[in-house]
This record gives sequence, structure tokens and C-alpha cells, in this order.
Amino acid sequence: MRIAALILVRVAWLAPTLAGLVAIVFVISRVIPSDPVALLAGETASRAQIELLRQKLGLDRPLPRQLLDYYGQLARGDLGTSLFTTRAVWDDLSARLPATMELTIAAMILAVALGIPLGVVAALYRNRPTDHALRVVSVAGLALASFWLALMLQLFFAMDLRWLPLQARITGFPPPPITGFYVIDAVLEGNFKRLGDVFAHLILPAVTLAIPALATVVRFTRAGVLETLQRPFVTYQRAMGIPAGLIVWKYVLRNSLVSTVTQIGLLFGILLAGAVVIETVFQWPGIGAYAFEAILHSDYAAVMGFTVYAGVVFGIVNLIVDILHAVLDPRGTAA
Amino acid sequence: MRKRQRGTTFPVSRRDLIAQGGAAAVAVALAEVLPAQAAGTRFVFANESDYDTVDPHAAFDVGRVAVRLNLYDGLLRWQKNPAVLEPWVAESYVISPDGLSYTFKMRKGVKFHDGSEVKAQDVVYSLDRILAVGKGASSLFKTMIDPGAAKAVDDYTVEFTLRKPSAIFLSVVPEIHIVNRALVQKNEAGGDWGQAWLSKNDAGSGAYKLTQFDPAVGFVAQRFPDHFKGWGTKWLDEIEFRGVKDTNTRVLGLLRDDFQGIGGYLQTDQLNRIKSNGTAQVLEAESMRVMMAQFNMTRAPISDLHVRRAISYAFDYDGFNKDILGGLVERNPTPLPNTIWGVPKDVKGYSFDLDKAKAELAKAQAKIDKPIELAFLTGFQQSEQAAQLLQNGLTKAGVPSKVVGYPWPTIVDKFKDPNTTPDVSIYWISTYYADPHNWVGEMFSSSTAGTFKNAAHYKNPKVDALLDKALSLTDQSERAKLYEEATRIVVDEAAGLWIYNTKWYGPYSNKLKGIVFYPIGSAQEMRTAYYEG
Amino acid sequence: MRTARDIALKLIGDPSAALGLLIIVALVAVAVLAPLIATHPEAVWDMNPRDRLLPPSETYLFGTDRMGADIFSRILFGARITLTIAIVAVGAALMIGVPIGLISGWCGNWLGEALLRVSDIFLAVPQIVLAIAISQTLGPSIENVILALSVTYWPWFTRLVHAEVRALRHETFIEAAIALGVPTWRIVLLHVLPSVLSPIIVRTSIGMGFTILTASALGFLGLGAPPPAPEWGRMISEAREFLPEAWWSALAPGLAIFLVVMGFNLLGDGLRDVLDPRIRRGNPGR
Repeated sequence: MRIAALILVRVAWLAPTLAGLVAIVFVISRVIPSDPVALLAGETASRAQIELLRQKLGLDRPLPRQLLDYYGQLARGDLGTSLFTTRAVWDDLSARLPATMELTIAAMILAVALGIPLGVVAALYRNRPTDHALRVVSVAGLALASFWLALMLQLFFAMDLRWLPLQARITGFPPPPITGFYVIDAVLEGNFKRLGDVFAHLILPAVTLAIPALATVVRFTRAGVLETLQRPFVTYQRAMGIPAGLIVWKYVLRNSLVSTVTQIGLLFGILLAGAVVIETVFQWPGIGAYAFEAILHSDYAAVMGFTVYAGVVFGIVNLIVDILHAVLDPRGTAA
Repeated sequence: MRKRQRGTTFPVSRRDLIAQGGAAAVAVALAEVLPAQAAGTRFVFANESDYDTVDPHAAFDVGRVAVRLNLYDGLLRWQKNPAVLEPWVAESYVISPDGLSYTFKMRKGVKFHDGSEVKAQDVVYSLDRILAVGKGASSLFKTMIDPGAAKAVDDYTVEFTLRKPSAIFLSVVPEIHIVNRALVQKNEAGGDWGQAWLSKNDAGSGAYKLTQFDPAVGFVAQRFPDHFKGWGTKWLDEIEFRGVKDTNTRVLGLLRDDFQGIGGYLQTDQLNRIKSNGTAQVLEAESMRVMMAQFNMTRAPISDLHVRRAISYAFDYDGFNKDILGGLVERNPTPLPNTIWGVPKDVKGYSFDLDKAKAELAKAQAKIDKPIELAFLTGFQQSEQAAQLLQNGLTKAGVPSKVVGYPWPTIVDKFKDPNTTPDVSIYWISTYYADPHNWVGEMFSSSTAGTFKNAAHYKNPKVDALLDKALSLTDQSERAKLYEEATRIVVDEAAGLWIYNTKWYGPYSNKLKGIVFYPIGSAQEMRTAYYEG
Repeated sequence: MRTARDIALKLIGDPSAALGLLIIVALVAVAVLAPLIATHPEAVWDMNPRDRLLPPSETYLFGTDRMGADIFSRILFGARITLTIAIVAVGAALMIGVPIGLISGWCGNWLGEALLRVSDIFLAVPQIVLAIAISQTLGPSIENVILALSVTYWPWFTRLVHAEVRALRHETFIEAAIALGVPTWRIVLLHVLPSVLSPIIVRTSIGMGFTILTASALGFLGLGAPPPAPEWGRMISEAREFLPEAWWSALAPGLAIFLVVMGFNLLGDGLRDVLDPRIRRGNPGR
């Protein structure tokens, strides 16, 4: 019941939070001193022609009115039409979502698969050279500018050694999507040549994106394991003669899971923020690059669409994290 | 969120793709997988900018010219270099003595991609559509012609009646890309002139027929064997134009033969890399794209003639053209490209001379009490480097300045009001039609003040009179004299700073032949290209 | 009670924290002394196209950039921009975020809740998205980057302070003070604030590093300080088009960012261990 109440409260808060977010971004995007209408009207359009088009697009009405209309639109599940691509923002975003998801999941897998063992190792060798080294490495991971790391990886692996492609998601025109996840699509079609190509394209952006997340996982896992190691049951098991390796990798790690789950929400934030910049560098056709271009083009509807989308995804992920946290750690005082 | 999105994964994009590409899309996908077995030749071009739409009436720029030239035809077409207007779907045309009425006789048997015939009614619909949609070239047409002013005299004769005589109407007729009226009308939704549909579908008669389009990637088109111009013995079966914004990806892709052609706005370093590699060639041709700085003439200190002259003397033209751009470009001392008619050949323009700059400053009445704003276009490295170099020269001449970057839509908006227009703005005027009016005409006519062509807000009755007269005449040698006169005046007034006219550089695969460059198409018309061997 | 001397000794005793401190001291020194150390002090504004894109040499320690300016000197002067942005932006975020956090934490009523929800709104999307939108709106300049970063960073302080104050609210010494009739503002300023100072200091250090990263990303995307400002992120984006040939022009500014952020992070970590054992290492965010 407590969990049901938690969900209810969180969901109830989601709507006003999103409404506030929309209002903030709405005001910001509307005062951008550029004129997408002028761009749309063509380079040689006269002022009168531009005004006409502005009226047609409804951009001449007062701001509060536009905002209210937008809320109405949202309530109907309509994100509007992109000024720049002239397509529904919803369609643009959903066409680009698989690209971002594929990249994010690949990075997440990398970060978790490498980060947890390293974190455990760091905890086990606490305050010894291994720990210090891992600590420096994990601090370093959070100190790298992702766009610079991306360029350096491109420089070595794509330009110099030419092992990996420089940019994009796939060589050539994308195949008609089945799920939109190219890895899954290639497997479904049994096309392993393409699968290899997709993986080759995925490596550099995924590694770039994974590094700060990896550093976070290492630090979290280390802390979680250290805390668990101090619990009485570990001492008890040690006394019972259970091998140290089994204690750590099975019992301690399972008990450290609580903080690991909490990380997922945090990781997601790091990854989504990273995606905006990294997708731009790698020309990855995802929603991050879409958001950046939308802002540069003053594409109101697309900017708003992305914001609402990011807000919803964030809200949902945090909600799930809180629920999991409540389920896994009944002692905790979530919410 | 919308309900239909739940449950299944992304039905929208998938359905769209299947609807638009159909069997052809599948064929393309297979070709991608099995390049060796795929029949025919394939050409991939990496463009600097994206293809966000394939509507021929939505854009009037160089970035998306491949759509218009390959998928569509017009009554006339710019060909050759220097550019000449050639009859295309039209066989001939007659201009009435008063210069108001243009009558085009069209070829018979020109086929749209769906097999129906191109008729006068389609031309009429196309012009009406351009004017109604209000994008791309519409603003130029609106200055001379009204909706409904095009009439189909019979199936193969179309007549345009202008509001007032215009020397440049013919120059922009190629932009009336003929769309298949029946097909577009069938796909209209809520009086949108088929915009939603045509932005991702094909209703043309051009040499290539759209088979696949994805705004995140580009478009693919297959040869249209029934094209009215006919085909020689060699051709490209399939062409693909892809938006690849990163320069390095384009260059490396060309060297690895992933791309057989790439956009040519490159730095010396990259051109040298391509030339020395051996797998690719760099074609060169004279072109018309003037890099310049527009001066906001409306306020001090720029309104002072001597300040403007001082700025013109403070730019290191050779340092920019020869060192930074490695001699890729030619010094162009006037607003008109060196290679077009109407250029006063005796005008030498300004040179880099800090002593002269200081001397001019000493003569200036206006006080320079705050930094002069030097604006460049965000994302265009050349424009940024030119602004920095000008700042450097000005600093040495004792003039404070600040460099500010604006994205294109932002700066276009700023140009509308003299108060928000930057003091100095550095960018290019490309060839939209091969007529001096494209440059000196639109740049210094009071009627265009506040547009990106005339961000100077330049107004001079004497120049206006010259330009208006030039527009109303049809005799080229008469017009040339008027443009020469206007050019002399604005150069003497230092009403702008003109840096270079660029050559065209076309990086292509070694095996590609038959590329024809002309300034308006940037060599992206693929009809004549083929592979050798 | 820990004294400043104890803390300093402990910090220096921790090798990584000492390293962090050293880096930051060096950064400040470089920023202050830039005109003296720089081999080409005029490189910030003067350019020499004939010497463009030269590799590192004795004359040009880190090579030259696309305009023929000395990269080494530009990096030294860039340290000033980086420090200014980090100090002012985080300082402003502190000044907004901490008072709001105090109020919302102390007043558990609708006001506190409302303030917290407002800060939630800013945290509902990644900071960089909002920062891009704001700096794009205002136009590229150092001041606007600072504004964008402080407007988007203050909620972190609010959340932190709020949580700390909520926990303190029912501590005996606070309740005693309330019972004694001490005015609320006195309690908050003299008892609550000093108790939450430690986590604030830790977060400030981490926040400096984080802010430098975000600011350089804005610069990289073309939204930061305008040219010829030797802003490190902008220098990297200017170098991008000349890779792989002129690799040096991208390498040095990236390493500079890395070093400085690393310095703040190491120091922050060390401070956390010394000042506030309750907060575990590895929690940079929520």
C-alpha cells in the first residue's frame, strides 16, 4: 500500500513539474532573437511576406495564449509540427528514439559490466595501491570532456588506424526498420555482415558515453560493498568458514544491489546529458542531436517536444528507481 | 502520450517508410547488402547539409539543389559555365514588346515519373503552388507576378503576364519546377497544396526518380529511362545524396570510396589530402560566389565614409586568400563576381594597407567610442576566420572591435531592423540566378533594405535609379553599363568589403566522368555522369 | 571540533586530495601570471596567418592554431576564462540555491514544498539541455554562459541543503534553541547553516569541476565566449576541422580541461572524506 501511495504521489507531481518545465522552456525558446519564419519564408522574402507566414503559423499571438494552446495540445497527446522538418514532432522523436536507446543501452551495459567488478575490486583492496589507482582512474573518467574524448578516439581509431568508422550509425542508407534497433534488426534478418557494421559504428560513441557512467558505477559499487562488508552477517559468514570469494561475489554484492539500482536513475541522467553532445560529434541520428539542431534552428515545437519527452522519461525512470528502492530496501524511507 | 504508440514499437516510422519506398525501398536495401550482385552503377554524394525535404518548391538554395535538378524539370534550365539559359521542357519562348507577357511553347511527350504527360496546366499549377506555399523562390516571383497570372493557352502553351517588366524573370523561370498536378492534388490535405506529401514524395519528371527518402540521411533516386532528354550509352543507374555535416567524414569517405562525390566547400589542407591520395580527383571551375562584409550604413561610426574606407584597408586580403585559404580563391574587389558581365574592369578596389587605414581614420568625423561589432555565421569557419582577421587588422589600426557569431536565422532576423543589424557582417552572396542583379542589384537597391542581400540598409537614389532602369531594359550591353556605373559608386563609397570570388572545387572519385559544372547547380545534376571502366 | 589546521593537515596527508589542491593552486597561479609566463602574450588577439597550423616546436611549445596564434599562450590566458566562469557561476548558484534550500528545509509547510518543486522543475531535464537553450537565447558571451550555468545549477544546492536541514530540524540542540525562544533567523544562520557547511563545501568543489565541463561543452558547441577569446572548448571545436593533420591543436586544450576538472574532483573527494564522513564517495548527483 505504501508503494501504491508512493506511485500515486509521484505521478501526481509529474504533471505540474512537466507543466512548469514546459513554461520555462516555452518562455526561453520564444524569446530567442532569431526568426525561423524568416528562414522558412526563404532568403529573399520581404517583411510583409514573413508577417503573413507568421500569422499562418500562429506565432503572432500573445505568449500566454500560445502557452495555453500548447498545454491543450499536449493534453491531446499532440507535440505539434516541427517548423524545420515540417513533420510531426512525435514522429521525428519516435523515429530517432531507437538510435538513442541503442547507444544508451550499449553504454549502460559497458558501464555496468566493467564498473561493478572494478568497484568490488577497489573495495576489497581498500586503501591499497589498486584502490588508489582505481580511484584516480574513476575520478579521471568524470573529468574528461566527452566531446574531446570523442575527438581523440576518432583521431586514433578512425582517422589514424582506420579500424573503426568515424561517424554515423551504419554504412550507407539505413535499412527499413523492423524495431529500429539496428543490432536487433540485423539479428532478426540474420544479416551478420550488417551486424558487424552496426557494431563497428556503435563502439566509439558507446565507449565515449560509457566512460563517465563507468566511473560513477565504480565509485558507487565500491561504497556499497564497503558498507555491506561491515554488516554483521558478513562477519558471521566469515566465522562460518564460507570462502571469502563466495561471500563477496554472492552475498555482499546482492546486498549492495540497493545502491546499484539507485545508480540506474543517476546513470540515465549522465547518459542522456552526454548524448546531446556526443550525438552531435558522431552525427548519431538520435534525439540528442535532434534537440541540439532544434535549438540552433529555433524550432519551437521540436525544442518543446524534446523537453517534454526528456522530462517524462526522467520522471518515469526516477519513479521506477524509487519503487525498486522501496521494494528492495524496506528499511529505507523513500518518498 | 498518444495511445497508439503503446504496445507495438514505433509503427509510425516503419509504416511511413514502407508507404513511401514500397518495393523499391526493399530493392535498395538488398542492393546495400549485396553490392556486387546489384545491377547497375551507384553513386553516393556526401553533401554538407541535410535534405530535410524533397519538395522542389520548399527551398531555393545550393544545399538542396540536387533534389530540384535531378528529380524535377523546368521550362528553362541554366547550363554551362559561364551559365546560359537553355530551353528545357520549353522548346521556345516569345516575349511581348512591352516586356509583360512571356509565352512558352512546350515539348510534346515529356513524361512524369508515373507515365502521364507534362502539360501546360502542370506549369500553371506549379507557379500557383510556389506563390501559395510562400517558400523557396516565391519571394522573388512575388515581386513581379501574381497568383493566377499564368495561363494554359493550350496543352502545350503557357503564358505568364507580369505586373511590370523585369529583366530577371527569365533568370528565375528555371525555379518553376514542374510538379505533376493530378498526383499532387490527389495528395492534398486541408488545402496544403500537398506540402506534407510532397515533402517526402516525388511528383516530377526529372532524369531520376525518388525511391527512398529519410531526412536523417538523405535520398536515393533511380534512373528514369523515359526522361525526355534521352540517355547516352553510359549513365549512373542509382544516385544517392546524403547529408554528412562533418568535413572529415566526407573527405575520408571519399578516399575510401564510400562516397564518389562530396561537397566542395573545403579548406586547402583537405583538398591537398584528396589530390595526393590518388583515388579521387578535384575538378575545378570558375564560379560565382562572393565572400563579402556588409556594413550597416545607418549609424555612426560606420555611416562615416572614411571609417568604412579605413575598415576596407584594414583587412589582410592576401593573408586570408593566400595563407588561410591557400590560394583557393581569387581576390574580388567589387560586389560583382569578376566573371560576370557588368563588372567595371578598371576598378581595383581596396588593399591591405594599415597606413592608409590610419590616414582615413584621421579624416573621419565620427568618433569610434565603442567596439565595432564584427558578425560572423556560426558554423561557417571561413566567415569566423575572416572576422578574426579583420579584428586583428583593426586592432593594429587602433580601432576597437568585437567578434560575435550568430546562426543564420538569427542574423537574418537582425538584418530586418537597422538598429539590430550588426555593424559589419561577413558571409557570402551565391548565384541564385546568373545576372548582375543577383549581386549589385539586390545588394544596393533600397527596395531590398533589411534583407540578407542588403543588410547594409543601403539607400541611394542615384543608385536606385540606375538599378531600376537596368531592370526595365532587356539589352545586355545597355544594362551592363548601368551595373558598371552602380558598382563604381558603391566601391568608391566603400559600401561593403569584398573579399573573394571562389572557384568551384569538385572532389569526385577518379572513375567518375561526365560531371558538368555550372554555377547554379554546383555540378549536382547527375544526368550526364557515368563511370569509366 | 575540527580546526582548520586539522583539516588542512588531513587534506595534505591524502595523496589524491593533495594532488587536486596542487593542480588548483597551479591553475590560479597560471591564470594570474599568464602575461608573464606566456611566450607569445599577444597571441590572444594577434594572428599571423603565415605561421598557421605549425606543429609544436621551441618557438611554439604546443604548436599554432588555424589563425597562426601560439596555442601554449592561449591556453594560459584561457585559464582566466575558465576560472572566472567556474567561480562566478558556482558562486551565484550558491547564493540562490543555499537560501532557498534553507527556507524550504526549515519550513516544512506548503512554502517549503513549493520551493522544492520549483527546483525539481529545473532538475527534470539534463542541465546541459537547459543551459544550451538559455545561452542560445541570450547570445554567445562569457556573461551569458555564466548566467545559463548558475540558473541551471542552483537546484543542486537547494536539494542538498534542504535534505540536510530536514535532518537537522529535529536534532536536540535545534529543538532546545527553539524552546529557548531564540529567533528563527538566528537559529538558521548561527546553528543550522554552520552544520550544513561541510556538504556545501564539498559540493562546491565538485560543482566547479562539473561547471567547467559544461561550460567547455557550450564553448565547443559555439555558444560560449566569442573569438578571439581563448576559451578551451572553443579552441577544440576550432581545431576539429584540421584533424588528423593538426592533432596538436585539439590535444592541448582538452588536456587542460581534463587537468583542471580532475583537480577540483580530487579536492572535492578529499574534502568529503575529511569534512563529512557521512557522505560516501561517489555521489556526484542526487
